[in-house]
Amino acid sequence: MSTSLQRRQFLQTGTAIIALPALESLGFRRFAAAAEQPRPKRLVFLGFGWGVTNDSWYPDTNKPGRDYPLPPGLRPLERHKADFTIVQGLWHRHTANGHYGSTFWLTGANEFGQPGQAFSNTVSVDQVAASHVGAATRFDSLCLDCGEAAGGSGHGPGLSLSWDARGKPLGGPRNPVEAFHKLFARDTTPLEEQQVRLAERKSVLDDALENARELGRRLGKADREKLREYFDGIRDLEAKLARDAKWLGVDRPQPSIAEPKSGLAGVEEIRLMYELLALALETDSTRVITYRQPVSTLVTSLGIKVEAHTMSHYHGHAGEKQEASERRDLAQSELLAGLLDRLKATKEPDGSTLFDHTTVAYGSNIRTGHSLDNCPTLVAGRGAGLRMGEQLVVPKGTPLCNAWLTILKGAGIDVASFGDSTGTLDALVAS
Amino acid sequence: MTASRRWLPIAAVVSAAWGAAAPSIADPPRVAEATPSVLAHHCLDCHGPDEPQASFRVDTLTRAIDTVEMAERWQKVLNAMNSGEMPPADAPQLDPARKIELLDDLSHAMVAARKSLADQGDDTLLRRLNRREYRNTLRQLLGVEIDVNELPADTRSGGFDTSGTNLFMSGDQFDQYRALGREAVHESFAKAAAVGAAKTLRVEPEANHAAFLAANQKSHDEHRRAKGWVDAVFAAANKPENAETLAEIRKRAPADWQLIHQWERIPGAPSPQDFGWPEGHDAQVPWELNVNTEFIEYEKRYLEQPRLDTGAYLTLPGANRSSYANNWFVLRIPDDWPPGEYVVRVRAGATPQAPADRRFIEFGQAPWPQDVPAMSTHAVLGTLDAPAVIEIPYVVPAKHDGRSRGLFIRERGAGQLPRAVARFKQDQKANGVGPELAVWIDWFEIERLPDTARAVPPGLRALDIPFDERGASLPPAAIKAALGRFVLEAYRGVSAPRGYLDRLLASYAARRRGGVTHMQALEEALASVLASPRFLYRAEPERSGDDGDDALDGQKLACRLSYLLWGEPPDATLRQKAKRDSQGAGLGDPATLDEECRRLLDDPRACGFVVPFVSQWLSMERLDFFQFDPRRFPRFDLAAKEAARREVYETFADLLRTNGRLGNLLQADSVVVDGLLAEYYGIEGVAGDEFRRVPVPRGNPRGGLLGMAAIHAMGSDGEHSSPVERGAWVLRKLLDDPPPPAPPNVPQVARLAGKALTTQERLVAHQEEPQCASCHRRIDPPGLALENFDAVGQWRTEDSYTPLDANGWANPSLKKTWPIEVNGSFHGGPSFIGFEGFRDAVAAREQDFARSFAKALVEYALGRPCGFRDEPLVEAIVNRAAAKNFAVREFIHALVQSEAFRSK
Repeated sequence: MSTSLQRRQFLQTGTAIIALPALESLGFRRFAAAAEQPRPKRLVFLGFGWGVTNDSWYPDTNKPGRDYPLPPGLRPLERHKADFTIVQGLWHRHTANGHYGSTFWLTGANEFGQPGQAFSNTVSVDQVAASHVGAATRFDSLCLDCGEAAGGSGHGPGLSLSWDARGKPLGGPRNPVEAFHKLFARDTTPLEEQQVRLAERKSVLDDALENARELGRRLGKADREKLREYFDGIRDLEAKLARDAKWLGVDRPQPSIAEPKSGLAGVEEIRLMYELLALALETDSTRVITYRQPVSTLVTSLGIKVEAHTMSHYHGHAGEKQEASERRDLAQSELLAGLLDRLKATKEPDGSTLFDHTTVAYGSNIRTGHSLDNCPTLVAGRGAGLRMGEQLVVPKGTPLCNAWLTILKGAGIDVASFGDSTGTLDALVAS
Repeated sequence: MTASRRWLPIAAVVSAAWGAAAPSIADPPRVAEATPSVLAHHCLDCHGPDEPQASFRVDTLTRAIDTVEMAERWQKVLNAMNSGEMPPADAPQLDPARKIELLDDLSHAMVAARKSLADQGDDTLLRRLNRREYRNTLRQLLGVEIDVNELPADTRSGGFDTSGTNLFMSGDQFDQYRALGREAVHESFAKAAAVGAAKTLRVEPEANHAAFLAANQKSHDEHRRAKGWVDAVFAAANKPENAETLAEIRKRAPADWQLIHQWERIPGAPSPQDFGWPEGHDAQVPWELNVNTEFIEYEKRYLEQPRLDTGAYLTLPGANRSSYANNWFVLRIPDDWPPGEYVVRVRAGATPQAPADRRFIEFGQAPWPQDVPAMSTHAVLGTLDAPAVIEIPYVVPAKHDGRSRGLFIRERGAGQLPRAVARFKQDQKANGVGPELAVWIDWFEIERLPDTARAVPPGLRALDIPFDERGASLPPAAIKAALGRFVLEAYRGVSAPRGYLDRLLASYAARRRGGVTHMQALEEALASVLASPRFLYRAEPERSGDDGDDALDGQKLACRLSYLLWGEPPDATLRQKAKRDSQGAGLGDPATLDEECRRLLDDPRACGFVVPFVSQWLSMERLDFFQFDPRRFPRFDLAAKEAARREVYETFADLLRTNGRLGNLLQADSVVVDGLLAEYYGIEGVAGDEFRRVPVPRGNPRGGLLGMAAIHAMGSDGEHSSPVERGAWVLRKLLDDPPPPAPPNVPQVARLAGKALTTQERLVAHQEEPQCASCHRRIDPPGLALENFDAVGQWRTEDSYTPLDANGWANPSLKKTWPIEVNGSFHGGPSFIGFEGFRDAVAAREQDFARSFAKALVEYALGRPCGFRDEPLVEAIVNRAAAKNFAVREFIHALVQSEAFRSK
């Protein structure tokens, strides 16, 4: 094969190194308290796998607008009713797997869209945002996950809700302890030693790249494509390293909570992850967060004996399964209400609240059972200039990606389209 | 690959390149001939050329689904009909029978189209070592067992963990590989440093008796004093002269327990201090009375047992909070003991009164084994008069967190508290005492055997330098040579690429200059090797020069063979055989390849094939989806579940060992069980932990997969049998007739909620809507045929259903019980009566089963989906096996000898 082709293929990924602010300006950005003007916009995506209870979660579509009665499944959110909007009618037309609640939720990709591949995905909406707004913070994004519990939670393949620009799964902290360490672990080693370590790491990565190049030269085309994942992975680490170098000597913020104990599962785990997520925003450690929430362990922690997937097929059984499904909805709504309380109670340096600058999207690709239409979609927060306090019913078959595009644009991210979007949801935009 | 060497010439090759013209397939799947005319009849008015507004047109659909776009359009048709959206409610509807056929055909065509459009060609894609291969490779190279659970899992629903496309790689993983590699190297050195260390530690459980008795004595005493005080308070309260006071107090403290707290207002009532209770404990005292007092009788029974001076009995939790002293015995390995292979021994005997299902102990690690699952369960074959020693191999890792250094033994099931307590109550009801004491322990010990005799692991042997700071004085050339030898071993016979050793040496030297010790710098260098792509990927480089021959060279073929049959790298013998390739013999010679294949399958390491292959082939992950309620299914405890799982592996392993007939998995007059499972199945005369083949007694439904508890438990929801899961599994795994995946957006049948119906009546609802019937007419019959097995695979002849009332409570007055009658027929196939009739009918389809098995093997071995172009390969494997009575090994030999396996 020709070496020039080789070089081009590998150089393409070299652009992954993100431009970083100069060190001087970082001095001003060290803590959120030293605020820039205006306040940065934040995005949060919360995904919950196995959908919701059809009859008790969705508001009556015959009553769109502000005066819709809150259905039982959303009642714990009553006090926030003026501050979130439910959108009905959205879906991803390409998804066809009734067990994938999260794999394509933020991407809208066609699993079979790439000929010759049994599976493919594309970049997720949070990562598009991260590539625009991520440069200013320690982490360009934070992809929270629930580890092993994801298996029984109806999420489908993936390591979190997030997929990178190449459509590969992105992982992240899998429990509150890991998240806490990522956000707040303090490096007490002297600065010079940290510099030596960064240099060592640079050399480790250089070496790995060289190894990948050497092997790549000996492989056939398809194998070389596959090896690119390794190559790209190292490139990502290099980009992170460059970022770390810029943040050298800047301490991570002081956490306002103690280190969580390990082994929390279900309700308590989600509650704590929400708290950490709010802390990450509050300290401006990142501005883009996704969280693939556990459902299986949530259900268990509520003392429900029904297995989570079985629960999602409550139709035709009523009784125990439907009750389990409804209790799941209530627990999730309560947790979300708690998060919204937290965001509203957190003051920003300019006197506004975190809620004023944050957009929370909460939902799943699965409606209920194996149904993938009218994906449950709740949007909260005043960070993207969206109309709040309403039930918005859009024409059936409207791409969910239109909602994602609307949120991106609302957060000041200027992209022409996202996924299979056909436009923005103008009715969602506050006039 | 040149066309002449393909199994079948393919006219067009699918291009995976981005931006290429829309690829199409030469011989694409087609929808049924009748479909276009049906669509024309029902849809053309709105979705045809005369309706320019139509965003979707059916007249431009082609029967051949040869592009992703065409597949999307047909998917749209399928979705619209499945969801009931089309035809619209006010338009003429399709004849239901016709609709069933159309949906059935179209959903199968879509599966076929997805498969053909996803065809990766017949090349095997570059594969990263998956999680278990990585663990095994480290074990083989360095002789250590590393916990790899931190790494992301490799499986996607339905696929094998060998599939190249699914084996992703990321920066995070690179860091994890470096950390795990460092840990493995470190542990390997630590083990090497401890060669020759001998250690023993024995626990004599009778030493527990003092604490056990003291705890019980304390409980006794507290109970007596509490009762004494409370009785005295009531005696005072009930004196006639106190009647008025009592009435007054009762106004505010109506309950007895409330009254107790008012003792100071009762004239003549004693203070709790008079009964030895400290001040301020008034509130706590009456609580003592509520504590179960079972331990009083239980302890008496305990003390009547013989041999308390030389040993102790395991007790079951449930008697009293303080008698846990004997619920388990814990042995703590001292922190300074070196890592390595140890052996744990327990000298135990079962009492004469021990029931059959309690003659077992569980072994595991945890300093406090409440609610901690065991690592293994062992039969107690000794008796009080002739105790026997149970030996359990145990590896002590270098990294330890306290957890791994506390070892426990306990009675079977004692870790599942609800089950143990239920058992306690049940026995207490029966005999007034509680569970009989079943297992006596003489002692519990651990020994580290000096491992001087054990071979040094190949990775360390290759280094061939001292594994301590003596190496610090070696000249750089010696370090470089050592690294070179290590790389050759780690890269499975491929030497370090040019320049690599110099880079490794440079980073080693830089670290040394930075003040790091020789061993630390060496460990870092070796960890780098273990995170490099040549180690992590099973690279199969193209040969230099394109001579059109892409047969794998000897070493690569050896790798494929050993990762297939052992899940780990080739051993020295296989590498040696592969080397001879250059002289024309070696693995290139079919006889030698067969011989090696046999050798590998004969080796115990073949469990590195059996377990991952069988568990994934049969989708056994479902077994772990549910917590089987120990109160509902007391016999299916965790030990029984593990034994049931192992039965599937051991049965396959036995077939492989004896080269038995594949059809034995469909029907057999023998089972492969250990003592525990034999007891579960009601087969007598089997004792001990070893799985062995035993005949099935007449009238017992076991034998073959369809008789296995694990298979039925997988086909349940943890509580009830699930005929749909079971039916789909039978079609998918046994009959080579997989149903399409559950379609999205099908309206759910909700009108049966809360009704008292038999399982069969409930499933009949599937036949009402064509969208459901198109698949369920195939799925439901084989599922219903297995109704004689409950959710944990126990035989039953009747089932029941209790509907819930409006408040969600089970309403016993609506309970419906019905006898199970198996009387059905396959869709478009033969009918059957009874479970045995059904099993006969399935067994008659050995040829289909063979195809299903061969396809799974091909996918597992080649690491890619078994596509249409693999049909001839599957055919050839099945034919070769059929000629040898479907002997299991024939499938594997045929696969290994195929061009597909032997070439890139």
